Amino acid sequence: MDQNLQAFFTLVENQDGVVVRDPPKLDLEIYIQNYKGRTRFDRLFLIGRSSVPLCVEALKAAIAEAKRGKDTHRYREAVELLRIAAPSEPEATYDQAWLEAQEASNKAETNRLLTELKGYKNNLIKESIRMGHEDLGKHMESIGDLNAAAEAYSKMRPDISTPKQFLDVGKHLVRVSIQRQEWGMVTAHLGKLGGTQYAEDDKAVQTYTKIGYGIALLGQEKYKDAALGFLAADPAIPASSYNELASPSDVAVYGGLLALASMDREELQSAVLENSKFRTFLEQAPHIRRAVTQFVSGRYSACIAILESYRPDYLLDLYLQKHVPAIYSQIRNKCIVQYLIPFSCVSLDTMEKAFGRPGQSIEDELADMIQAGALEARIDSIKKLVTTRTANPRSQMQAAALRTAEHYERQALDRLRRIGLAAADLELKGGKKLGGFAPQHDFLVEETLG
Amino acid sequence: MDQLATLLLGFPPAGGFASLEDYHSQAKSHHQSLDKLASTSNFRQSAANLLEHVDPAVNSMSYLALLNTAINTGSAPLPDLLAKASVFLCTFDPQQTRYSGKALSSLLEWALSGTSFPASVAVDVVATALLRLDPMGSVLTSHHVALAKLALDTDNIIPALPLLDKSIVSYPGIKSTQDPRPLCSPDLPPAAYIAIETGLTKSLTSTDVLQYDLIRGLCYIQLKDWHKAHDALEHVVTYPARDNHSCSKIMVEAHNKWLLVGLLRTGKTPELPPTTAPGAQKAFTTLGKPYHAIAKAFEDGSAAALRTEFETIGPAFFSEENNLTLVHLVLQHFQRWQILNLRHVYTAVSLEQIRQRTHNAMTAAPLATEEEVEQLLRQMMEDGMLRGVVERPADGPAYLRFLDDDEGGPTDGGGLSEAEFARRMQAAAERLRELAPLVRATSDRLGSSREYIKYVVEQQKRDLDGRGRAGAMDDATPFMSQIEDEDLMTGVVTGY
Repeated sequence: MDQNLQAFFTLVENQDGVVVRDPPKLDLEIYIQNYKGRTRFDRLFLIGRSSVPLCVEALKAAIAEAKRGKDTHRYREAVELLRIAAPSEPEATYDQAWLEAQEASNKAETNRLLTELKGYKNNLIKESIRMGHEDLGKHMESIGDLNAAAEAYSKMRPDISTPKQFLDVGKHLVRVSIQRQEWGMVTAHLGKLGGTQYAEDDKAVQTYTKIGYGIALLGQEKYKDAALGFLAADPAIPASSYNELASPSDVAVYGGLLALASMDREELQSAVLENSKFRTFLEQAPHIRRAVTQFVSGRYSACIAILESYRPDYLLDLYLQKHVPAIYSQIRNKCIVQYLIPFSCVSLDTMEKAFGRPGQSIEDELADMIQAGALEARIDSIKKLVTTRTANPRSQMQAAALRTAEHYERQALDRLRRIGLAAADLELKGGKKLGGFAPQHDFLVEETLG
Repeated sequence: MDQLATLLLGFPPAGGFASLEDYHSQAKSHHQSLDKLASTSNFRQSAANLLEHVDPAVNSMSYLALLNTAINTGSAPLPDLLAKASVFLCTFDPQQTRYSGKALSSLLEWALSGTSFPASVAVDVVATALLRLDPMGSVLTSHHVALAKLALDTDNIIPALPLLDKSIVSYPGIKSTQDPRPLCSPDLPPAAYIAIETGLTKSLTSTDVLQYDLIRGLCYIQLKDWHKAHDALEHVVTYPARDNHSCSKIMVEAHNKWLLVGLLRTGKTPELPPTTAPGAQKAFTTLGKPYHAIAKAFEDGSAAALRTEFETIGPAFFSEENNLTLVHLVLQHFQRWQILNLRHVYTAVSLEQIRQRTHNAMTAAPLATEEEVEQLLRQMMEDGMLRGVVERPADGPAYLRFLDDDEGGPTDGGGLSEAEFARRMQAAAERLRELAPLVRATSDRLGSSREYIKYVVEQQKRDLDGRGRAGAMDDATPFMSQIEDEDLMTGVVTGY
């Protein structure tokens, strides 16, 4: 590996960033074509920061993307990284002239829009004020001032007069919140957007909100709910109506992975594989469909193998990156639990063959799972066996009965004791002046133990 | 002399008693005449001689009076007196001594004073005597407190155990209405005759009661009986208070020990029982902070964290609180509980794995060798903590196999055999049945207490009034407040 790249990724690792050394299966150009809007830069930038093989290519694309827009801050960020990673590239130097011109024009544009808005406000024409706010919001968003953008967009609300405008405001706010990764805000805005009559009539908006919910809930680690969001998306809606958030293949991947992590086999069969709408999405990501099918038909190791081969790709995804380890380990744990269900006793060798990972013993993993309460089983590490623990209602009942009897006896004695103390007038009575402590001389017993 | 002997041997009379009342009046008069005699010089001089002619088990009252006089006048050599006193304390007739409580009390005090018996004998004979007086051991006396202190201070706990093990449910100083039955009645509850009035005990304060349970706890700690120690300390921790802010120093001290003992007993932080007084709860939270920190580190399962916690608080602190040895034990037991928790994961595990997976909290490192692990395991098995066997197969590493716990192991059909279960349930039922007289006594006492009777009378009066006024309506929920006018039409009120 290039020395500069090496230095760059050591830096990223030191900052707790994710570094993906294996080449992903995706093709950068085709991948980025699926998106539009500001998410393109975000995605390219993330790949540039994380993927060793694609670093330079992605960063260069990100710089080009930034230059096409008006956000000078992003441009600086991307160039900064490229300068560390590949200083010899022509893009690695600032285009000072462009920067200055762009910054000046951004400033002029902001001022112009503000003055215009002031004028509209003086004229008291609702429609003009709304449009003024919208223009300002769009401008602020494009130059990367997301705070101001969100503020401008929310100021549109009082002047809405048609359903279309209402939906637009909602979408603007959702988009900005997603960019700021404020998942709670995303769900709040989506709630406002989706709960209305207009939204229910508009299929496109419905799919938009479902996907938005999915992304927001994924961000909040509510995997099951997020999966349900993605699974409810409608494939008939053209991707252009939601590709500022995610592409159709993303929907398939997010939905499929999260379903795998959070649902059992029956649910997967009915909610994923037999879901005719979602099947259309799955055509975009056939490996996810294969993984789900393998899981449902009980071939867990095959399922895990497929997912492992796509791990680099998912680690380069804007929304999945942080959650890949958690989602994968949930899926793996589920596979192990499901695998053990039909058996009363399995040898560790078989488990190793099915789930083994180089450099990691399945025994330790099982022990951790049992300790965490994810698995009801016992390990015999001498005979190398795993025995599943079945509930024994009879002995449970016996233990409960004995416990109850003992508890009853203790309670009875304790009550009698307390009645006795009360009757003998021996309860503690606080001295009024002594601040909580009953008057009594010091009493410390010497410790004579041992 | 002969006259004296006739009088002393005159109770119990050879002909027996016509009734309990007869016994009662004769015993009382005998007690009075003994009192009168005690001050005569003749009696004082001949007390030591007369002791030879009176049977302690039959003429207990007389014997007791003679013994006390002999002790007070010092008219007999000490070893002789000690032998006589111990015979008396182990054989006296408890029915008679109900009438000469003061004399018995002074004898017991003398026995516990440290100037007479060696401590080990004193503890033994006094415990025996107190249990003869009240076989249920349900009433606390001033002698209990003194005995427990002596037993702990001189490390003679074992002979005191029969007494310490009893559950105390009543305390002297109960203001009860006079029991109509005579003092000698065999079915009289112990609380009725072990009272300040009969002289069998002195009055106690709440500090005495708290001290008694704390000392019991310390005794059990000494014996490493964590279960009983925990229960005893819990009595102190949950001591009732009449207001919302009282707490005693002894309670705080007991709470801290209770927390540590809880860790030793279950490997988990014990939860405060809901009966804990609110003032005490607050005091425990603030004053028990270092102990809670230790407990939390213990539960989190990191030996290093536990060690650091212990060191930041500092041994000096615990030593000042007289808890250093206990805290050391907690640190030592940390690894034991870690090993024991492996039982939930493994049915069999090699010693090497145990060595790697568990840490010693004293050093915050794994044990050095397999031998040390095995030694620890043996120790745990000897203590009855661990049910398992260490096996050393010829062709493999040594390993520990856990035997099934009571909750039903994975390998066998299930927990207890039906017979064993029946036996345990029977034992539990038996213990509950033994509580019945205590419950009855308490219930009788409460039923005849002035407050309760007043309450019942008032209740009855109100019932009568209520019926006269508005039919049999419950006064607490007046008719109008519950039912809206409209509901009258819809049949809601048919229940009334």
